[in-house]
Amino acid sequence: MTGFFKTLAAAASFAALVATPTLSSAQELPGNVRLVIGSTSTGGDTYQNSAIVAEALAEHLDINIKVDAVGVSEAFKALNRDSRGSTIMIFHDQSYLGHLYGVRGYDDIFETYKVGPTVAINPGNAYLVAKNGPFQSMEDIIAAASAGQRIRVAIQPGGVSEIGFSALKNAVRIAHPGAEENIVAVNTGSQADKNQVLFDGQAEVINGSVQANEQFTRLPQDDQKAMRFVWLTAAKETIAQANPEGLGDTPRDEMLAYVTPNVSVTMDGAEDFVFDKEFFFLYNKDMDPAIVEQIDTALAEIFAAGKIQETQKASFFIPDFKPSAEAATYLKAKRDDYRQIIDAISAQ
Amino acid sequence: MSFSSLLDVSIDFDTSHLVFPTLIAAVLVILLVAIAATNWRVIVSAVGATPTWPAGIDHMRFFGTLIATVIYFIAMPAVGNLYPNTGLGFYICSIVYLFGLGALYLHKRDRRHLTIVTLNALIAPSLVWFILSEIFNLSLP
Amino acid sequence: MELFDILTPLFFILIVVGTVIGIIFGAIPGMTATMAVAVCLPLTYSLGLENGLALLLGLYVGGISGGLVPAILINIPGTPSSLTTTFDGYPMTLRGEGENALKIGIVSSLVGGLISLAILYFFAPTLADFAIKFSYVEKFLIIFFALTVMAALSSNMLVGIFSGILGIFISLIGTYDISDGGNGEYRLLFDFMVPYLDSGFSLLPVLIGIFGLSAILIEAEHGMPAGQGLSGVKLPKGKPFKFSVFRGQSVNLCRSSLIGTFVGILPGVGGSAASILSYSQEKHFSKNPEEFGKGAPSGVIASESANNGLTGGALVPLLSLGIPGDSTTAILIGAFTLQGIQVGPLFIGNNPVTWDVIIIAMLAANIVMFLIMMFAIRHLVKVVSVPKHVLFPVILMMCVVGAYTINYGIMFDVWTLLIFGVFGYLAHKIRLEIAPFIIGFILGPSAEIYFVKSLESFGTLSIFFTKSWIAGVLWLLIIMSIAFSIALSRRNKGHGQA
Repeated sequence: MTGFFKTLAAAASFAALVATPTLSSAQELPGNVRLVIGSTSTGGDTYQNSAIVAEALAEHLDINIKVDAVGVSEAFKALNRDSRGSTIMIFHDQSYLGHLYGVRGYDDIFETYKVGPTVAINPGNAYLVAKNGPFQSMEDIIAAASAGQRIRVAIQPGGVSEIGFSALKNAVRIAHPGAEENIVAVNTGSQADKNQVLFDGQAEVINGSVQANEQFTRLPQDDQKAMRFVWLTAAKETIAQANPEGLGDTPRDEMLAYVTPNVSVTMDGAEDFVFDKEFFFLYNKDMDPAIVEQIDTALAEIFAAGKIQETQKASFFIPDFKPSAEAATYLKAKRDDYRQIIDAISAQ
Repeated sequence: MSFSSLLDVSIDFDTSHLVFPTLIAAVLVILLVAIAATNWRVIVSAVGATPTWPAGIDHMRFFGTLIATVIYFIAMPAVGNLYPNTGLGFYICSIVYLFGLGALYLHKRDRRHLTIVTLNALIAPSLVWFILSEIFNLSLP
Repeated sequence: MELFDILTPLFFILIVVGTVIGIIFGAIPGMTATMAVAVCLPLTYSLGLENGLALLLGLYVGGISGGLVPAILINIPGTPSSLTTTFDGYPMTLRGEGENALKIGIVSSLVGGLISLAILYFFAPTLADFAIKFSYVEKFLIIFFALTVMAALSSNMLVGIFSGILGIFISLIGTYDISDGGNGEYRLLFDFMVPYLDSGFSLLPVLIGIFGLSAILIEAEHGMPAGQGLSGVKLPKGKPFKFSVFRGQSVNLCRSSLIGTFVGILPGVGGSAASILSYSQEKHFSKNPEEFGKGAPSGVIASESANNGLTGGALVPLLSLGIPGDSTTAILIGAFTLQGIQVGPLFIGNNPVTWDVIIIAMLAANIVMFLIMMFAIRHLVKVVSVPKHVLFPVILMMCVVGAYTINYGIMFDVWTLLIFGVFGYLAHKIRLEIAPFIIGFILGPSAEIYFVKSLESFGTLSIFFTKSWIAGVLWLLIIMSIAFSIALSRRNKGHGQA
């Protein structure tokens, strides 16, 4: 590990450090950067993805970057406190979805912070049913709901896990106005909880992910734990970029069977709903634009070199670099689309 | 009304955050009343007998520990802010804090004991800072 | 790759290194096994899967085991799951039997680790199928069962239960967390507290504040009386440790290890519940329950065999459902994904070699843990003879480090330490009972989630009785536990009057 050699170097420069507080020239990232993430898990996708990006960035700029899994509210607080660029953040669509769903502790990120570049997509957001249950596909589910059957969907409320649920509800509303009431949320927490309510027969559909649930879909039908994918919310183009071997025993081509247009959850009667869980940087509102520029440039060079893409794909992330300005415009538009859906189903 | 319908409870998700705290608060109040009812003699006599606090304690060491700790906690992030993400706030303040507390707890402040305290104040934070912040890359204030 | 190609010298060196680092992390108040695994996770990327697992599993076993050292010697649980070890381990140290207590704890840890490992190896898939029969309802009953321990652990039952309920109440402060299935609303907060307390108080700072800081405040109040170690600690008497301590303890060892393993298997019940449950069961079944809390070796045995029993147990749902059994195994998932290995119901069948490697690594880590700790004891017990003006400031500093790093750098956690240090000091003055308070605080959040979710799903209280035969068995255990506590308290009163 080069970490140890870095350590030695750091120890050597220690005296110099103490002598001169880092009143950094404010045009570039300081030598020691803290990258906070909106998740408290160091085993989850946010951490994994942030670690990949942080390592590449640290190496490219020859600085230290520590990834700290402090969780949403602490991460936002830390970001608010520090405009020098010593604290930056990586998070995903939850950051604005939380605000759209009115969850406490979420501000409008486009107002309160600077939105930085996007770096990757986790294409794994999925919806599953019990393999021995009555439903084979999303079509079955929408039809059943339209016909008056109550469909319980296990989700974690207030964000990424709920947006697909909202879209489903909206699609049922369009197919059969009024029937959307038959799509009911079962509010749960972790993936373990969601799986458990499916095993218990307390939900017909659960939110999950390719990564966490793929093996359950490979179990024989008579196993109580067996599940079936009915929908991957990612865009077709996103999944198409994954390695052909896919994940586990599910090759990419099989995954494509669960995305639009093969599975259609309509957004407005014409276009299908898609949701790519994208990871992007967030900065303090007053951070020097020169630093924004510096990170954009560095990432552009890293992605041009092409090595990071391999690392990302090996971990089932889809590379997705958009520089800050483009990312902000794009994410704002994405947010506005989802706002329409959420407004439409909460209107009645 | 049947027995089972007596047990029916319907919980609205939007207010579900209050269900358990309310229940627990109610139990807490009941227990408090029960304790007061069964032990009121002991409580009354105890209240009457203890206004002596904080007399009879070592003021210097007790309040010294508290005040030093509060200053330590305030100083750490403040100093750390000068050297962001290096753990130096922790390092520098810990040296001062360890020396201060060590000296406070000493009964004989002669040269030999003060040397031990000083060495401890220098060595312990250095080790901790180096191992955790530099080798394991953990965040310190 | 063949199994024997993997078992290189490097593999075993990594197990030793991992175990040693784990023990050190576990032994420092405030540092935990979870943290040890988290900080070493990035290293495993370059090591490859098998060698990485060797390091991480060593850290896991070492970290869980190391927690007994400060629990026994200085009355601060090194990890939350060694809480119950302090109840009898520290009184033993006060009697000058610290070394004995440590050895008892280490042997129990080894037995607990090995029993749970055997269960993991032979029954993992079957047990996983059993574990998924535990829905919110059964999980609530398990937590409730563990909470009934509060009554048995208190000297004045009414005050004890009050303290425990107060612990639950304080654990509920903050957001009803969305990631646990809550609705994200604040409760029990005044507006000015929101910026600090929106996530509530963290367990670890509360624990080390109440046990570590408050003990030092009490010492300071007495003016740091001359003499060594914490007040009243006798230096080792040199009474040799004999395995005969374990005579008549085989039932205790097995029961506690099994309870530990079983609690580990249930995702979301939490490691601390394991040692709390087995400690109280041992007390209930004991012929001399009044000895507990005053330095009964069987208390240390129950607590330590249970918390090491967790290690094997928590791997069951991880390796056969892809779901972590505790916070440390949650990070182990990251190690697998980093190497592109999925964990789920097909893991064992698809990766037989990796599965064997895991078992061998766990076995080796347990043995290494035993040897190293037995060897290190002679040096460890010297901690109690370090002068106070050296030891206490260092303990305070380590508590600060532990509190700050547990959630990856949050300053409020450090203040929590001080708040609960002062709280612990005041509680001591007004005779609140600390052990039930902490147990309530640890179990409160899961009790809430499982209780409220059960009612949300089923809409009736009767579900707690009618859900399944498992619920029936749990009620039987709960009633027995309460009956024992009442009988015990009657008996103690009788003794008092005699």
